[in-house]
Amino acid sequence: MRPAGALDRRSVGIGLRAPHYGALVEQQPKLGFLEAHSENFFGAGGPALAWLERFRADYALSLHGVGLSLGSADPLDERHLGKLDALVKRIEPALVSEHLCWSSIGERHANDLLPLPFTREALDHVVARIDATQERLGRRILVENVSSYFAFDVSTVPEWEFIAEAAKRSGCGVLLDVNNIHVNAANHGFDPYAYLDAIDPASVGEYHLAGFEVADGCLIDTHGSRVDDAVWSLYAAAVERIGARPTLVEWDCDLPALDVLLGEAATARSILAGSSRANAGAEAIA
Amino acid sequence: MSSLATLQRDFMDALFDIGQPSGPGMAVYRRNVQSNLHDALVATYPVVRRLVGESFFREAARRYSRESPSRSGDLTEYGAQFAAFLASYPHARALPYLADVARLEWACHECLHAADAGALDFAALGRVGAKRHGDIRFQLHPAVRLVRSPHPIGAIRAANLSGGDASVSEAGPDHLVVARSGGEVRVASVDAREWDFLAALARGAAFEEASAAYGAEDGAALTGALARAVESGVIAAFALAEARA
Repeated sequence: MRPAGALDRRSVGIGLRAPHYGALVEQQPKLGFLEAHSENFFGAGGPALAWLERFRADYALSLHGVGLSLGSADPLDERHLGKLDALVKRIEPALVSEHLCWSSIGERHANDLLPLPFTREALDHVVARIDATQERLGRRILVENVSSYFAFDVSTVPEWEFIAEAAKRSGCGVLLDVNNIHVNAANHGFDPYAYLDAIDPASVGEYHLAGFEVADGCLIDTHGSRVDDAVWSLYAAAVERIGARPTLVEWDCDLPALDVLLGEAATARSILAGSSRANAGAEAIA
Repeated sequence: MSSLATLQRDFMDALFDIGQPSGPGMAVYRRNVQSNLHDALVATYPVVRRLVGESFFREAARRYSRESPSRSGDLTEYGAQFAAFLASYPHARALPYLADVARLEWACHECLHAADAGALDFAALGRVGAKRHGDIRFQLHPAVRLVRSPHPIGAIRAANLSGGDASVSEAGPDHLVVARSGGEVRVASVDAREWDFLAALARGAAFEEASAAYGAEDGAALTGALARAVESGVIAAFALAEARA
């Protein structure tokens, strides 16, 4: 049966990656949802879409975009939005998310999640772009805080104020990536717990968890290892302060066996189940 | 230009080593971007990579990323001009077949992501009267790509994908039909006139004209070519051309 509608607040999912397709079909693990990178399914047809529809029959899905370039000063890419819109209509995902970043300028794409300056100008711009995207898709989207390795001198507000304000003004939800908060706190020297306090709990629609690496004295969000203990602690604090929300474990580089991801998902589930706020209410997240 | 646009242009230039502004962390982005674009080419061009080796491929990918920047937030679209780049890449002159191998790999890549189509409607085809057979416009499946080369690129691809000897002793030319079957890309070798026949259909020619491209005097062989294209799903639909005056 095709699961419909909203996710339960305590849903835990994993990133859907091609090397796990066979194991997922064979094991049919109990998962709250699967999250796919939207662009991997932008093709007109073929096996990728056939696989996604197969998983859609058994799982709720979340579509997570990595290439819309929401924060770019270029005009919004209507072709890209059109493909996303068609995919959303076809798959009817429980969640649709993008990143609070930019990836392209002058029609040149870096195909990476590049940092925004936290200025009034950038905020006004990104709010208008989120508005336009939500209008085009006819639904609310979640916007994720990205990891960063570069801070602009021109920034006038801290990152947490920027994302909180973007959500408040555009009405979008926040996809709070707990690993990215930890990574940025270490790279830019701020208190990750103060970040949590600045986020309106009502705006948060999903959490992300992943592993990072240390290189050149910098924490790098590689999605290539287990969730770090410090990130589990920060996640538990987020669940206490903000509440239980659908939570995703992401893994992209050096993908391990499916069981390793399912183990990480089980840890997240136990944190959600143990929190007082999680038990206080089990309303669904739209 | 807005200050956001200026900041983003400067940052993008710095990413590709064009401009000066740099700072702590820029090296991380440079590495990420280069590795994302490199990995996308590796996924699409495994045979080219095996033929030239990783260090050659990495340098070619780095130069290509500057000459033909990514134009889409969907990395699946990246690498469309890699064959043309290799054709004029001075370091690839010793491998005259390399650009054509890349062309074949891009055709396979497009094939994998192209639209689906239903099966040919045999019942409807059977109802077309014999006098109108020449007016039938057979349509190739949207995933089909036709590639030809003076070099034995089909054999080179097959040998390298199966981990065999990178050098192939067979001679060209190769006339290839790239199609999707059971969710996988298949590359079939056909003879030159069968390829010309399919190429005529791909251009929208009616059966009579496509038959002429084949060499219509050999009716039995033409029927065989048509049957193979239908059975393998290379032909997925048909329409009737306007009746001739």
